[in-house]
Amino acid sequence: MGLAVRSEEELKRSFAMLKRDDVVKLVRVVAETRDIEISCDECFERLDIFAEMELSGVEASAAMPLVGDHLDKCADCRSEFEALLSASRST
Amino acid sequence: MRERTNEQWLADLRGPNPDEALADLYDLLVRGLRAGLRSYGGGVDANAEDFAQEALIKITGNLGSFRGESRFTTWAQKIAMNVALTELKRRRWRDVSLQDLFARREAGDRGPADTQLTPEQLALQNTVLHELRRMVDEELTDRQREAVVAVLLEGMPISEVARRMGTNQNALYKLLHDARKKLKRRMEAAGLSPQEVLAVFDEG
Repeated sequence: MGLAVRSEEELKRSFAMLKRDDVVKLVRVVAETRDIEISCDECFERLDIFAEMELSGVEASAAMPLVGDHLDKCADCRSEFEALLSASRST
Repeated sequence: MRERTNEQWLADLRGPNPDEALADLYDLLVRGLRAGLRSYGGGVDANAEDFAQEALIKITGNLGSFRGESRFTTWAQKIAMNVALTELKRRRWRDVSLQDLFARREAGDRGPADTQLTPEQLALQNTVLHELRRMVDEELTDRQREAVVAVLLEGMPISEVARRMGTNQNALYKLLHDARKKLKRRMEAAGLSPQEVLAVFDEG
């Protein structure tokens, strides 16, 4: 009986306790995970080339699958890619 | 603006009289920023000049890293979008600390089960939930758990979480990739397929 005392370790981890609503989100990203993925810097390095392919009507994700995959997974890089497309179309 | 080849851009910007090329590039960046950031709403337009100015400094300081694989202007716009979006994300998330984010999560709703579920379905969900919690607990480091929660579950930008964790976007993406790989292997080892889990949670 008595109050359950949580260890420091448990307290530190409790924010990470998965909720029911988290399960689908987490499992989806885990399912999409590949052994080989490029990092944000590597994606940025090729983003201009990728964008020009896309703008010229080439299926850029087929030509540069690792960049396409990274853009599917990384919202930060995806937003830069979309902004670059809009910018390139207008100038 | 006068049309230039990549070689002409580089020659003009590096030449003894770069002012005209700088002015043309600046105008191009401002127009690109206005178009590229249109979906970010008010306030961005007013900042386009500042972002363009900052990008111009980065671009002219890094001409050596342009490899000519795209048009020079696309490469320059890429740098401008990065400068602008990094700053816009920083402003948007300025008032949110990871501690706040985690505290809100803890205090928040635990996600009650759908009342339409049969007792069997509920029991199955609880078993899977329990199993996944254990995997997260046992497989991930403290830093990986923080990043997984903040980025993958709470949707905070990687760059902003990285800033708060004292690292950078590139390193944090890699840390998250390692975390996802560990969870994937553990699920495979446990014979728990993502498809099955999604079906149990009615998302199959």
